This record gives sequence, structure tokens and C-alpha cells, in this order.
Amino acid sequence: MLAGPLDVAVDLSTVNTLQQALTYHRERHTVLAGNVANLDTPGYRPVDLNRTTPDDGQQLAVTAGGHIATSADDQIVTSFDDGGALQSADGNAVSLERELAKIDANRTRYAASSELVTRRLALLRYAAGDGT
Amino acid sequence: MSTTDFFTAMEVSASGLSAQRTRMNVASSNLANAQTTQAAGGGPYRRRDVVMSSVDMPNLQGADFSAAVKGVAVTQISQDNQPPRLEYDPGHPNANPQGYVAYPNVNPVEEMVDMITASRAYEAGITAMSTAVNMAERALGIGR
Repeated sequence: MLAGPLDVAVDLSTVNTLQQALTYHRERHTVLAGNVANLDTPGYRPVDLNRTTPDDGQQLAVTAGGHIATSADDQIVTSFDDGGALQSADGNAVSLERELAKIDANRTRYAASSELVTRRLALLRYAAGDGT
Repeated sequence: MSTTDFFTAMEVSASGLSAQRTRMNVASSNLANAQTTQAAGGGPYRRRDVVMSSVDMPNLQGADFSAAVKGVAVTQISQDNQPPRLEYDPGHPNANPQGYVAYPNVNPVEEMVDMITASRAYEAGITAMSTAVNMAERALGIGR
């Protein structure tokens, strides 16, 4: 005999948040690929993306680029000049190592987010199925 | 709202690969003609150099960061106007009345350095592109 109604819900809002994270990492990869393509373009300054979510005081702090925002609101993605490298004589400030390190870290974060989406959906499939 | 897809990232990387390959071709041409004393148009061969510029990617608008996505293109192949190297060789058919032959203003060491730099930049572009492919495969694997 069932003890009351089944109050089980798979919270899919996480998937929306993760999807925003995936979008952000894909867009960031495009920008970083542009930095690598412009490795030898005179006067080129590297750019990077930054994202924030509207703060309603109800969410975990996002203190690093890779953190997943907990807000269901749309993320705000902005670009900024990342002239952290020593500028060469032709005005180009791209550091190959720096960009490749960022690309690799970004890819890892993308992989982590996509893995989380997969697990979320697997949970839903488990609940929707016969539990096997 | 998304304004890019993985194909945009691959197009950006492809523009870099294409520019580096052009640069490699120009460096090879300079090396091959390092001793050409009679080029088309008269006089010795003159060293060529590529001019690269960053370009906006087409079909990219909407988000405020779309201007941050830049590809690269070789916008011009310029001629190096440094004077030719003169060598004394009175027997040469292209010698001037004083017995000097004008050789191209090509420095093989400079060309080799340029080729190695282009090769490294090409490899970096390949790395960025295979990362995009890897991420796209991850996306395809969601829910599998």
C-alpha cells in the first residue's frame, strides 16, 4: 500500500542552467580560437569572455569563470580585452601558451557540464523507466 | 541566445590555418628565388612578405561580444623594397658595367625563421580546431 501520493520530481532546471554553461563555453572557445588565429597579426590584442547572472541574493556566488550560476535567469556574456601578455614590437599581445591553456581548461569545463547533463537525463530515464 | 556554433569556431581556426599556409608559400617562394637574378619584369627577384589583418566573421551579430570573435586573413602580399645584394662577378650575364651582379634581397635565415614560426602557428590552429571537434562530439554524446 502506497503511503500517500508519490512526490518525486526530477528537477530539470539544472539542465537549463547547464545548457547556459555549455553555450558560454562554446562561445568562449570561438573567441579563444580567434586569438590563436591572430597569433601573428600586427596590433592584435587578445580578448576573452566573462559571464555574470543577475544577482537576486538567492544564489551561490560566482567567483570564477568556470562556476555554474545557480540563477535560472539568462546569463550576461561580455567580452573584455585580455592584454595580459607582454606586447611584442608589432603591437601583438597574444601569448600562445596562455591561449592554449585557456582553451584546454575551457574544454574540460565543457566536458564536465555535458557530463552533468548526461547524468541528469539518465536519472530522468531511470525514473521514467521501470527502475532497471 | 546563441550566436555562434562549433562551425564558427572551426571557421575561425580555418582562417588562421589558411593565412599561415599562405605565409609558408611566400617563404618557400622567397627561398626558391634566393639566387634569381632575372625575375619577370626585369631586375633580380624581390622578397615578398605577407600582411595579415584580423577580420570579422560573417553571419555573426546580435550578442555584444560578437565583435570579439575575429578571424584572420592575408590582405596583401607586399614587396620588400630593400636594395638588392651586389656581388662582384664580371663573367655573369647579368653583371652591370662595373662587374657587379644584383642578387635578390632574400636572407635565407630570415625565411627559415619565418617558416618555423608559421609551422608552429599552424600547429596551434590545428589544436584549437581539434578542441572544437572534441567539444562538438561531447555535445553529441549528451543523453547517450
